[in-house]
Parts: sequence; C-alpha cells; structure tokens
Amino acid sequence: MNWKMSRVVRTVTDIMVVPIIVYGIYLIIHGHLTPGGGFQGGAVIASSTALLIVSYGSFRDYKKDFSSMESLGLTLFILLAIFGILLGATMFHNFGAGTGGLFGGTVPEGINPGYVNTGGTIPMMNIMVGLEVAAALSLILWMMAKASDSMEVEA
Amino acid sequence: MSFDLITHSPTMVLGIPLLFAFLTPLADKVSKELRDAVFMMGLLLTVFFVFVMSYEVYTSGAWTYVFGGTESRPTSLTSYFRIMFAADGFSALATITVAITALGAGIYSFAFMDGHSGMEKYYALFLLTFAGVNGMILTADLFNLFVWFEVTSIASCGLIAFQNYRGKSVEAALKYMLISVIGGLFLLVSIGLLYGEYGVLNFYYLAAVMTGGLVDKIALAIIFVVFAMKASSVPMHMWAPDVYSESPGSVTPFIAITSMGSLFVLFRILFGMFRFSMGAVELGTLLIILGLLSMFIGVSMALKQSDVKRLIGYLSVSQIGYMLLAVGVGLTTLENGDYGTFGAMALEGGFFHMINDGVYKALLFLSAAAVVYATGTKDLNRLGGLAHRMPYTTVFFLIGGLSIAGVPPLSGFSSKLLIYKSIYLYHPILAIIALVVSIITFALIGKIFYNAFLGPDLGLTRGEVPTSMLAAMMILTVIVVVFSLFPNYVVAEIVVPAIEGLGVIP
Amino acid sequence: MNFTILPFVMVVLLITMGLYTVLFKRNLIKMIMGVAIIQNGVNLFLVSLAYRDGYAAPIWTSAPSSDMVLPTPHALTLTSIVIGVATTALMLSFVIMLKRHYGTVDSNETRRCRE
Repeated sequence: MNWKMSRVVRTVTDIMVVPIIVYGIYLIIHGHLTPGGGFQGGAVIASSTALLIVSYGSFRDYKKDFSSMESLGLTLFILLAIFGILLGATMFHNFGAGTGGLFGGTVPEGINPGYVNTGGTIPMMNIMVGLEVAAALSLILWMMAKASDSMEVEA
Repeated sequence: MSFDLITHSPTMVLGIPLLFAFLTPLADKVSKELRDAVFMMGLLLTVFFVFVMSYEVYTSGAWTYVFGGTESRPTSLTSYFRIMFAADGFSALATITVAITALGAGIYSFAFMDGHSGMEKYYALFLLTFAGVNGMILTADLFNLFVWFEVTSIASCGLIAFQNYRGKSVEAALKYMLISVIGGLFLLVSIGLLYGEYGVLNFYYLAAVMTGGLVDKIALAIIFVVFAMKASSVPMHMWAPDVYSESPGSVTPFIAITSMGSLFVLFRILFGMFRFSMGAVELGTLLIILGLLSMFIGVSMALKQSDVKRLIGYLSVSQIGYMLLAVGVGLTTLENGDYGTFGAMALEGGFFHMINDGVYKALLFLSAAAVVYATGTKDLNRLGGLAHRMPYTTVFFLIGGLSIAGVPPLSGFSSKLLIYKSIYLYHPILAIIALVVSIITFALIGKIFYNAFLGPDLGLTRGEVPTSMLAAMMILTVIVVVFSLFPNYVVAEIVVPAIEGLGVIP
Repeated sequence: MNFTILPFVMVVLLITMGLYTVLFKRNLIKMIMGVAIIQNGVNLFLVSLAYRDGYAAPIWTSAPSSDMVLPTPHALTLTSIVIGVATTALMLSFVIMLKRHYGTVDSNETRRCRE
C-alpha cells in the first residue's frame, strides 16, 4: 500500500482513533446491560483499523498479532464454556453469576439503572468475543487492502 | 463436583473440535510438530467422544442434552426455550459416518498437504467443519440448525479454496458459497415463518403443535429445497461435480460427508417434524421422485466424464439417489400400512446405505486423490498402467469401486440388496431402474480401473504414495471389509436404533 | 389503515430485488451485493416479526415499562448479521482471487470448471 491521504485526513484520524476504540470497549463491557456486546464493540474497534488503513495506507504488518489475538479470544471463549462442565453443570453454564467475584454481583429484580459488575460469564464471554471480532475484522480489512493493492496496475 | 464425560459426550463432540481448531494457530507459533500433534489430538478425541456417545446410546438409550442449566440430563422437559441436543440412535449413526470419514481424511491430510503454507488454517477449518457437521446433526432446534449450517458452509468453502493458487478451486468455492449463503438465508426465512406462527424453535415442540397450514407448507418447501440442494440431489446438483473435482484431494471426501450430513438433517426434519402434519405419503413420493432423478441423471452425466474426480463426483450424486429413494419408500409406508411388509426393510437399506456410502465414497475419493498426487493429472485419457507402481492404491480403489457398484461380497451389495428387495415390493419398475443404474456404475468403475490402473506401465509415477496416506486408506478399507463381513450385525446394532431414534415405531 | 404490514412489503421488495440481482447480473461483485440485499430483507423480516405494539425492547436497564417482547428473533437477527459479515468477506476474497487468476469478474467468463 503506497498511498497516503492528506495531512488533514491523517490528523483527524489520529484524533478519532482513540475515542472510537474507547467507544468499542464501552460497548463490549456494557454488553450484558445495554444493546451492544462483543461483536458490535469488536466491529467498532475494527473500524478504527479501517480508518488507519484508509488514511495512512501503509503501516506495520500486524498480521501475526491479529491472528494470535483472534485464536486466543476464541480459545478462552470455548474454555469458559467447557468450564461449566468441569464445575459439575452443563456446557455454557453461567458459573459466575451471583457468586460475588468478578462480574458476580446479584442482579436486582425489575427495572434498574444497570450494574456493570453483574452477569457472571456473559460479560467475560463478551470480552473474549470482542477480542476475537476486533482482531478478525482488522485482519480481514488488512488482507483485503493488501490484495487489492497488488491489482491496481491493471485498472 | 462430579462430572461424567458420558453424559456430556454430545457437547464434547462439538466442544473438542472447536477448542482444538482455535488452538492449532496458537500451537503453530511454537512449532510445526506441535501444530500437527494438536490437530491429531483434536481429531482423535472427537472421534473418541463420538464413539462414547454412540456406545451410551446403544447400551442405555437416547437422551436429550440441555445446555446452560445445572442438570444436563433432565428427566422432564419443562422448558423448550433452552438449547437442546438430541443424542439418539439417528445422531449416533450420522456422527459415526462423519467421524470415520473425518479420521480417514484427517490422517490423509498430513502427507497430501505437506509443503503448503498456512497449514494451521487448514487444520483449523477442518476441525471447524467437523464441529459444524456434528452440530447440524445433533441439534434439536432450528436456530442452532441455521448456525451450524452456516459454520459448515463457511469452513468447508475455506477448505475447498485452500489451494488458492488454482483458479478453478476458487471458482468452485465461490459457486458453493453463493448457493450455500442464499440457501441459508431462505432457511432463515422459513425459520422465521415457523417461529412467527408457533413461537418456538424446538423440533419436538413444533412436531406436536404443527397444523399443516399454508405457512407450514411454505416453510417445508423452503427447508426441503435447501437441504436437498446441500445434499446434491439432482435438480440442485450443479455445484457438486465442480466442488468434488476442484477441491484438494484430502478435503473431497469431507465435503461429500458434509452434503451427506445435510441429507441426515433433511431426514430428521421430515421424520421428526413434518411427517405428522403434512402426510407421509406425499413427502415420501417427493423423495422417491428426487431419488430417481438423482440416480439416473447422476450416472448418465458420469458416462461422458474423463476427469476421474469429476466422474466419482457424479457417481456420488447417483448414490445419494439410492438413499432418497429407499427412505422415501420407507416414509410412504408409514401411513399406508405397508411398514411391516417392506417399509422397515427400505428404511434399513436406506440408512445402511448412507453409512456404507460415506465410507466407500471416502475411500474412492482418497484413492483417486492418490492417483492425482502421484501423477499430477486427473485426465483418464492420459493415465494408465498405475497398477505396476502403485499396487496398494490399486487394491484400495478396487475395493471401494466394487463396493459402490454393489458387487456381491462387499458392503455396497448388502445395503443395495435391501433396497432392491423393498422397492421391488413398492413398485417393480423402481427396482429395475435401480439395478440398471447399479450396472452402469459398475461399468464406469471398470472404465476408471481399466484406464488408470491397467495396461502397460507409462512411467507416470515413481512409486507408491507416502505411508500415512496409505494408512488412511487402509483404515477405510478395513471398515468397508468389516461392514461387508458382518452386515447383519451392523444393521441390528447401528441401523435399527437409528430408525427408532427417528421416532418410527413399527 | 394498518401500517404494520409495511415492513413486510419492504421485506418482499428487498428479497425480490436481491434475487433479481443475483440471478441476472453478470458482475460477481454485484451478485454479492444482491446476496447482501437478500440478507437485509431477511433481517428486516425477523425484526418486524418480533415487533409487538406497546411492548418495550427487552433491556432491563432503565426500561420504560415491564412489558417486553421475547428477544429470540433479535438473537436470530444478530447471529445472521454476524454470519453475514463473515460470508460477505469470504465471498469478496474469493472474487479478489478469481480476478487475479482469470483477470475478470464477469460470471460468464469465470466458468472454467467444466472445461
């Protein structure tokens, strides 16, 4: 990739990338309370990668890091699911709910303002999925940008 | 704090391949040997759990596995809203068929795909496809059916296009992907229709409440077409020869078993859900028509092929026809009272043919791939005299080929005999057509054998394929021979529980 | 006049448009766009199926009322969107590779399997 957008675009990108990632993380963390969750947050994070690719054209090859992140997220997700079996219940059993540990708060009955520290394994799985989706979509965008780059000659 | 893996085996059949699929790219960062070991371990563990589950089904009966709760084997089904897996005789038959093929294709992959870059992705996709097919077979609700359907489609398309330096592979994969995606979307529409009408997605519940109105008929038509298409039944078979011919040789049997998995799902849905409200005779007649078309058109298209893998692909389409025909006849008899006289035999023949066909077709595809691996060409007109240099592959191909042609001592004959006997009682013409198709199949196998293996040594190859590939074919050959030697045992122990698992009570 | 039928009219329109694009356009990229249109139609179908007049979305956080719809179709829709991203990306990658090998994205000229 050998293009580079103008200074204005690059500066705006620099400013915007951080809030986009923060918003993505917010969506992931609050996934069990409000609309959002792992996939949506991950997609938002990946859109910052898209912005970077479009405005800067070339940046370092993160292919290896993205693919490790993707596998790591998925492996932890499945391990969380299988962990339910090891605790004597079933696959995908929510063993973290109401235990008082991380994300283990008790959910009040009825309409409430929303407490982040609840949900048991659901927010944990959201985080894993977020990791996976952010990495996978970034990887897809990266590979496609690279692939279309090599074909420009003929157009 | 106690857990028994036997109860959890239906979920381990999915969990293990998923876990190891995601572990292989991580293991690849360490070393290639570790990656291969992780893949092999995932494959063997999954096959092991398939057999654990099947053994439990055969010894102490079927059970329903419910996800997420604290009780994995609930005695009373109070909630139809949780995710459920049905571990019954039918799932056992289907997962055993898939597992045998996956084992053969997986072991074959090591040497066959040696030298390709990005093998960690190949292994990951392979295990994902395995998990997807198992999920499709085991699931007891439509939502999960859709999810696993798509997982299987995406992963298997990745496998088909794995040799992306060959344009035709990519073309076949794109074709398969387009029809799978559109099929999946229409499947989703029909799921929406059923959900909108009844408010549930569970097979058992839907079977109990379904009324057979217009909406149900539309949903049935869509589901039927989608799964018949994935099973490469004739009017929708156009993807099959391309995909079978252009996919990497170690993947081809696995794609074939994916389409067989769709056929299993189709039968489960027809027998378990729609049969009660739609009329078994009509559904059965539909299956019989599709079966006849598949048998006849498949084999007649195979006549003019000179590409060995494409030819076997068309033969595979025609074998699918046998299953549709036999199961269709069996389904018809459920309502008109002939079940006792020949319906049971037709179902036994059909399901026995499915497991037989899965195994010998895998053997055929793998030995054809061995020919391509050794000589570098798929063209039958350029092949010849391979028996001199590749004696083992010749024997394996001969056993697979004679089995698909239904030559007496082999397993294909036992199941085809059951099919002939039962459909002759349904209608003699059908049995005659089935026999003619079988004879043409025999002639085509003879053509491949004569063109590729017999004749003077043309010096196309230096020698036999690597040992691990031979070992994979050996495993499948041994299973074909076992099925040939003990057909009664297989029918009594594996096929009859499968028919009971579908809810057919004689 | 009953306006709840409108989304379903839109669904039929979208699916027909998508099918038309897939069947009659020769450009592979356009065919994939057609698939995406069908996908949106199906998603709209599921979402409008779940709509109940006067019921709130099933989110307890600061909900306006406690009458809520059952979110199964929404879960289906989300799953379908996620799968849609994966399939679209995969198909576009296939088209990129085909363009490299064959030098064209015309569906009439990318039928070389049969030769």
